[in-house]
Amino acid sequence: MSDMWINMGPQHPMTHGLWNLRVHIDGEMILGVDPEMGYLHRGIEKISEDRHYNEVITLMDRTCYVAGMAWEHLYIQAAEKALGLEPPERAEWIRMMSEEFQRLASHIMWYAAFVQDLGLMSPFLYGMRDRDLILDLFQSYTGGRLTYEYMRVGGVRNDLPVGFNDRARKVLDWLEPRLVEYDRLCMGSDIFRRRCDDLGILKAADCVKHGVTGPMLRSAGSKRDIRKDRPYSRYAQVDFDVATAESADVTGRYLVRMEEMRQSIRILRQTLDWLDHHPGPVLADRLPRWLGAPYAPIGREAYLLKRNYPKGIGLSAIEEPHGEACAYVVNEGGEHPYRVKFRSPVFANLSAASQYLVGYHVADIPPIMGSVDVCVGEVDR
Amino acid sequence: MDADEVRAKLTGAGAPGILSVDPFPGVAARVRFSPDSAAPLFPIVRDALGFPHLSTVGGIDWVERYEVFYLLWSDTAKTYLLLSADLDAKAPHIETASSTWPSANWHEREAWELVGIGFDHHPDLRHLLMPDGYDFHPLQRAFKLHEPEELEVKVRHV
Repeated sequence: MSDMWINMGPQHPMTHGLWNLRVHIDGEMILGVDPEMGYLHRGIEKISEDRHYNEVITLMDRTCYVAGMAWEHLYIQAAEKALGLEPPERAEWIRMMSEEFQRLASHIMWYAAFVQDLGLMSPFLYGMRDRDLILDLFQSYTGGRLTYEYMRVGGVRNDLPVGFNDRARKVLDWLEPRLVEYDRLCMGSDIFRRRCDDLGILKAADCVKHGVTGPMLRSAGSKRDIRKDRPYSRYAQVDFDVATAESADVTGRYLVRMEEMRQSIRILRQTLDWLDHHPGPVLADRLPRWLGAPYAPIGREAYLLKRNYPKGIGLSAIEEPHGEACAYVVNEGGEHPYRVKFRSPVFANLSAASQYLVGYHVADIPPIMGSVDVCVGEVDR
Repeated sequence: MDADEVRAKLTGAGAPGILSVDPFPGVAARVRFSPDSAAPLFPIVRDALGFPHLSTVGGIDWVERYEVFYLLWSDTAKTYLLLSADLDAKAPHIETASSTWPSANWHEREAWELVGIGFDHHPDLRHLLMPDGYDFHPLQRAFKLHEPEELEVKVRHV
């Protein structure tokens, strides 16, 4: 028997980012794995200690580059708790809407990339095209398609433009039947089922033991979703179901994400209806009025926030598209946060890699790692 | 679950080394414990209190001391719990939590290399985000960041 270690990465189509999966193999069998991270480490937690509270938002978009809004939302909640500020009601709803659109965009991006890993080309093109419709919506109210810098301590930067709600509804009306078509392309395909069924199994008890959360945990039958368990923002006021599956394999994770997209559309419709009937301010009054001016430079805005806020620690947790994300912001009364600590869901999901890879074949690695939905930006930070 | 309930459960299970149990915004309670009693305390928190999921482990450099905190989640009580311990500033170290919560493995590796907290009996304390042989701990306060304009840029003319 001759076993050996091979490198999958840092340049490998499976990685979807810059990391290296060292695989210990015997023939085609996987004996062990050792993910090697750090290629994308930018020291976001350290840089945050040297920036004003609002300037950290720029970094948040770059933490996970396919779920920027979710990370902005995470940080903003913790920063507001640390500073003792409350956003206006309408800002909370806009944030929730942004997070759900981001979840849709992130899951569609995942669908496109994952299915392409399996060798199916058309779903990739369909997915990328439909994700662009959501990015168009983001562009219409934030000006950015990938990095938004939209949320602010105490609210959001600007209100939605005129006619936004109707445009958003049109996109949802277009997406809903498309999801059925996506599903037919995959679940109706024999190739897809043969490559995904009974692969990468990780039971719920092992998920909890190894800190695995998000669609991976829910595909094992657990109903853990922070939006339901510990509602933040206005999630307690909208109606939706937690998507689960029982098989705990790659197909299960696929089914959970597809159902989550349908539930996101449900949440978005309710959110848009609320936004229709509740105009109002989107930035808190306690802040200087022009802190929210749309084109004011971000550094200058943050400078105005320099006040003697009482010390505090803010802790927030959200259900990011990949799983449970937490932020811990320590405010020691200075201009900058004293310490910022993030919990990235993919970080924990990847640390359990040996649990769901060992015992399978080398050719199974792309579908299994695809189903984990790796975003290296938030692992390395 | 609130701070009183956590305190009662900890006392009932005979948890050693508890310094204080305070209410804390966003979590059920913040439990401060002495680092010497970490090894017997962790299994009690996991089993008797019912916190099988460890979300993260982080370290803070308070200059005169270090703090290490553990964020835990209970699926039955639907709440978070914060454990924290103060460590000596000279040589901060504490028993690893990875024998109780295997998910602590990578979080502790990160806290070790970035904050400089040692985790005794950790199964695999290697660099994770930084290259091997990197001798600095960037998240310590003594490690200063320099914005580009503050650095003196020397242009070499050839």
